[in-house]
Amino acid sequence: MKIINRRQFIYCSALILSTPVLSLAVGSSDDKKDDISGQDDIRGKIFKGDAPDKPSKWSHEGFLYTKLNDRKVVCGICPHRCVLSPGDRSACRSKANIDGILYSLSYGNPCSINIDPVEKKPLFHFKPQTKSFSLAAAGCNFRCLNCQNWEISQAKPGEVRQSELFPEDVVIAALKSGSESISCTYSEPISYFEYMIDIARLAKEKGLSTLWISNGYINKEPLIELCRYIDGANVNLKSFSDKIYKKLNGGRLEPVLNTFKILNDKGIHFEMTNLVVPGYVDDPEMVKRMCEWILNNLGPDHPLHFLRFFPQYKLDRLPPTPVSTLENFRSLAMKEGIRYAYVGNVPNHEGMNTFCHNCKKLLIERKGYLVPVYNLAGNRCKFCNTVIPGVWENRKIKT
Amino acid sequence: MFNLLKRKNENPVLLVVIATGISSVVTQLLTIREFLVQFHGNEFVIALILFSWLVQGGIGTLISRLLTGKSSPSANFLGLLSLALAVLPVLQILLIRELRDTLFIHGSSVGFYPTFAFIFLTTAPYALLIGFVLPYSLFVLRYTNPGYPGTYIYITDSLGDVAGGALFSFFLLYFFSPLQSVFIANMFLLAATYALFKHSGLRHSLTITGTGIALLILVSGIFFEQKSLHPLEGKLAYYKESRYGRIEVLQDREQLTLIGDGVPLFSNQNTSNAEETVHYALAQISDPKHILVISAEGGIMEELDKYHPETVDYIELDPDVSEVLFRFGLIKKIKGLNVINQDGRAYLANTEKNYDAIILNLPEPETYQINRFYTDSFYDIAKKRLSSGGILSFSMEGYDNYLAEPQRQKISSVHNTLSRHFKNVLLLPGQNIYFLASQSPLSTNIPDFLSLKGISTSYVSSYYYGNITDDRINHLKELIDKSTQINTDIYPNLIRIMFMQWFAKFSTSPFVFIVILSMLSLTYLFFIRKEEFVLFSTGCMAMGTEILIIFAFQIFYGYIYLKIGLIITVFLAGLLPGAWIGNRYGGNKKILLVITDAILILLTGILITAFKQTGYSIPLSAFLLYGFIVSMICGYQFPKALKLTGDSNSAVTKLFSADLIGAAAGTLLISVVVIPYFGIIMAAICLIGLKLISLIIMAIKS
Repeated sequence: MKIINRRQFIYCSALILSTPVLSLAVGSSDDKKDDISGQDDIRGKIFKGDAPDKPSKWSHEGFLYTKLNDRKVVCGICPHRCVLSPGDRSACRSKANIDGILYSLSYGNPCSINIDPVEKKPLFHFKPQTKSFSLAAAGCNFRCLNCQNWEISQAKPGEVRQSELFPEDVVIAALKSGSESISCTYSEPISYFEYMIDIARLAKEKGLSTLWISNGYINKEPLIELCRYIDGANVNLKSFSDKIYKKLNGGRLEPVLNTFKILNDKGIHFEMTNLVVPGYVDDPEMVKRMCEWILNNLGPDHPLHFLRFFPQYKLDRLPPTPVSTLENFRSLAMKEGIRYAYVGNVPNHEGMNTFCHNCKKLLIERKGYLVPVYNLAGNRCKFCNTVIPGVWENRKIKT
Repeated sequence: MFNLLKRKNENPVLLVVIATGISSVVTQLLTIREFLVQFHGNEFVIALILFSWLVQGGIGTLISRLLTGKSSPSANFLGLLSLALAVLPVLQILLIRELRDTLFIHGSSVGFYPTFAFIFLTTAPYALLIGFVLPYSLFVLRYTNPGYPGTYIYITDSLGDVAGGALFSFFLLYFFSPLQSVFIANMFLLAATYALFKHSGLRHSLTITGTGIALLILVSGIFFEQKSLHPLEGKLAYYKESRYGRIEVLQDREQLTLIGDGVPLFSNQNTSNAEETVHYALAQISDPKHILVISAEGGIMEELDKYHPETVDYIELDPDVSEVLFRFGLIKKIKGLNVINQDGRAYLANTEKNYDAIILNLPEPETYQINRFYTDSFYDIAKKRLSSGGILSFSMEGYDNYLAEPQRQKISSVHNTLSRHFKNVLLLPGQNIYFLASQSPLSTNIPDFLSLKGISTSYVSSYYYGNITDDRINHLKELIDKSTQINTDIYPNLIRIMFMQWFAKFSTSPFVFIVILSMLSLTYLFFIRKEEFVLFSTGCMAMGTEILIIFAFQIFYGYIYLKIGLIITVFLAGLLPGAWIGNRYGGNKKILLVITDAILILLTGILITAFKQTGYSIPLSAFLLYGFIVSMICGYQFPKALKLTGDSNSAVTKLFSADLIGAAAGTLLISVVVIPYFGIIMAAICLIGLKLISLIIMAIKS
C-alpha cells in the first residue's frame, strides 16, 4: 500500500481539523422561527361544492350578505367575506349558498351546552360567582393550531352531535338552570351569528345577560347590531403581529383591533385574552406595543388576561409557557398603565386576584372558581370608594 | 466461509458491498429513530419509513437495469457512488432536522400525508442509491468475470446487513449519538472505497481528495450534532440518546420541561395534572399504604407524600428517564420510594405484591407499546394485584366541552374493557378524562373527601366543582356506547381508533392512500413473471412476518425500541445461510420453491397457534429463532428463483426489485391496514393467503 506523502497528510489533517470551525460558522445564524418555519398563512378557504342540496328545516337565512350575478353571494359577517357560488360552503363551515340564498346551517343546533362559572370564560369583572349557560354550535372562521375545542370549531354542523334548541328554548333553559347569563362560547359564535343575535335579543327581554366569547374577527356592521343586545365579551387578542395571526390562527390583526374599538365605543364591558404561546407570542417588545395600543385606543380600564399556553391540537410540540413570563407580562402591562392585568391557567396564582387601581388593596381574592375575599360594595372599592370598571351586581357574594 | 473473497480482483468490490450493507442498516435504524423524534412517533411512521426505503431501493435497482448495456460498468464509478453513500447519511439526518422546521410550522405536529411525503423525499437520495449500488456492484464484477453468480452479491450484502444490525444493536445504540454512529458505520465504507480506488488504479491525489472530502463531511456531522438539536425556546439543559429514544430537558426561564422523542411530556410547573392524577384516586381510599405508579408526572411525589404511604413503587422503563427526572428535580424523592426500571406490565404480571392504588401516567395508546396498558389482559393483571378496595386510575385525552366521535369510541372501548374486570368504573370529565376503577364503590365528592382527610390542594379544591359538575359527569356517562368493541392485545381496537383520530385531526383519510397503493401494486403484479411473484410474495412474507414479530413482541413484552435492532438483525442474519444453501445445493428448483412456500405457510400456522395458546409465555429466544428460520427460507428462495430466470443482469435486477417491492407492500399491508383493523391473527392469516397464491402459481406451472 502506498503511503501518503507529507503534503497530502497536512491537507487532509487541515481539512478535518477545520470542520468544527466550519460547523460553528454555518450554524451561527440567529433563527427566527416565525420567518423561516412552514406555511406563512393558514387562513381557511371556502369549501367548493360542499353545501347541502337543500337547507334543513332549521337553516336560517344569513343576517348580512350581498347577492351578485350568477346567484353568487358574499357573506358580510366576517372579514373573510366569502364569495360563494351556489353549492359552496363558507370558510367557517357554517354558511352555504343554496340556490342563490345564503343560509346559516347551525341555527338552533348547538353541539355543546354546559353551565359554567362566569370566571371560566374568563370574565373577572362581570357578575362574579354567577353561573353562565354556555353553548356552542359547530364552526369557526379561524384555524388556530392550538385550538382547545377543535373537534367542534373545525367541524361542519352536520358532522357533530347536535341538539335542537331554538333561541326561546335556550333562554328558558338558562333561566331554569339559575344562570344569570348566556355565553356563546367554545367554538366561534361569529360563525353562528344569526343564532347568537336572536338568543341575545330574547335574553335581553327576559333580563338575562348575553356574553360573547370570541376571536373578534367580525365586520363592523354585524358587530354594531350585536352590540345592541350583548352585555359583555371576552375577545381574544391572540398576538400583536399580523404575521403571527396569519401563521398560527389563520386571521388578520387589524379587524380584531377594530372590534375592540367598536366594543369600546358602544360601551360594552369587555375583557381581553392573550394566550402567550412560547416562541411566538412571548416577545416583551410586542406585549409593550400591544399595551400602548390598548391604552391609546381603549383606555386603561379593560381587563387583560395573559393565559398560559399548554400543548394542544396541532401545536403540541411546544412546551408550556413559563409562569414567570406571564408574571413579567402582567407587571409590564400594569407598568404601562393597564389597570387590571391577570395571569390565567395557573391555579391560584396571585395574579388572578383583583386589586383596586387606586388604593392597591385586595378587592377580590380568587381560589379557582371560589372567592374567599370580596371587597366591593356595588361597583366601588370598599376601602377608597373608587369605581371599579366592570359589571358588578349589588348583592352579597358568597365567600 | 463462502470463498467469496478468494479472488483478488473481486475483493475490493465485495468489500464495498459488505460495507454498504453495514452503512445501509445502521442508516436505516438511525433514520427510523430520527423520524420517530421529528414526527408522530408510532409504528405507522416506522412502516412508512420501511416502505419508502424498500420501494426506492426497488426503483434504484430497476434504474441500474436500465443502465445495463448503455455504458460499461466501472470500478471508479462504483467508488464514487460509494463515497456518496458514505456521506449521504450525515446529510440526510441533518436535512431531516433542518427541513422539519423549514417546511412545517415550528412546534406543530404533521398529518399522515405530509409526513409520508417528507419521509419519501428526504430518504430518496440514499435509498435510491442503495438500490442502485447493489446490482451495479454485480455488473462491475461481471464486466471482468461474466459468469459471476448474482447470489454471491445477495449473500455478501446480507453479510454486511447482519454486521450493520449487530454493530448498531450491540454497540452504537449504547454508546454513541446518531451522527457519531453514522461516522463509525461509514468508516468501513470509506476504507473499502479507498481500497477500491487503489485497486482500480485511480490517481492517488484524486483518491486522497475524494476520501478526504467524504471524511470531512462525516467528521463535520459530529460537530453539527448539538447545533442541529438546538431548541428555539429556551436552552437545551440535557440531551441523551437513550436505548429507548431521545431524552431532552428544555429550560425556558425557570421552567424545566421533559421532552421525550420530541414531544413535551411534562414540566415542573404543572401542579394541576399531578393533583388530579393522585387525589382523584387516593381520596377514595381510607388509608393507602402501598402505591404503584407507572411512569411519572411532574410534582406527583409531593402529592403522594400527603398520604404518608409506606411504599411508593415508581416504575420507569428507561433508567435514563428516571435518572434525569431526579437530577433536575422534576420529581422528588420521598420516604418509601422505590424506583424500578422495568416494563410496568411485566412487573405487575410477575410481582407478588398487592397495592392499594395503581396509578398510570401514560400517553395516549397511539403505539402498541402503550396500548398494552389499556387492554383486557392488563386490567385483569391489575385487578389481581389490587388489595381489597384498591383502585386503578389513569387518564386519557378527551372531553372538555364536546366529545368527538373517535374520542367517544375510544373512551367507550376503554370503559367497556375496564367494566369487564371492575364492579365500579367512574369517569371524571375534563380536558383529560380520569378513569377510576375498583371493586368498591366510588364517589365523585373528591374535595369533600380531601377536606375530611385534611389534605390541602391547590387545584382540585378550588376548581373541581366548576369543571366537574354533575351535569358533565352524567353527560359523559350517557355518551358511553356499550356496544363498542373492547380492546385486547391481539385485537387492538384502540390502535385503530387512535389511527382514525390522527386522520380526523388533520381532516384526511387513509383510504385514498390505500386505494392508490393497491392500484399501483396490482399494476405491478400484472406485469411480473411467476418467479418474480414468488419473490414478491417472499419479500412480503419476510417483512410482513418481521413486522408481525415486532408488533407481537411489543404486545407481549413492550420494549421494542431496545430489541428492534436485534430482531431486524436476526431477520437479516437468516437470509445469509438461506441464500448460501440455496445456491450450494441443487434439486428441482420449482418443486423446492413450492416446498419452501409450504413450509412458510406451516410456520405461520404455528405462529398463529402460539399467539393464541401461549402468547405471554413465548420466550424472546423463540421469537428470534422463528424470525431466523423464516428469513432463512426467504433467503433460500432467492437463488432458486434466480436460477429459474437465468441469472442475467436483467433477471437479477428484476428479482431484487420484486423482493424489495414485495417487502415494501408487506410492511404497509400488515402494519397500516391489517393489524389495526383486524388484529395480529388475521395479519398472519393474510400472509398465509398470499403464500398460498404463490404456492398454487408455482405448483400449477411445475
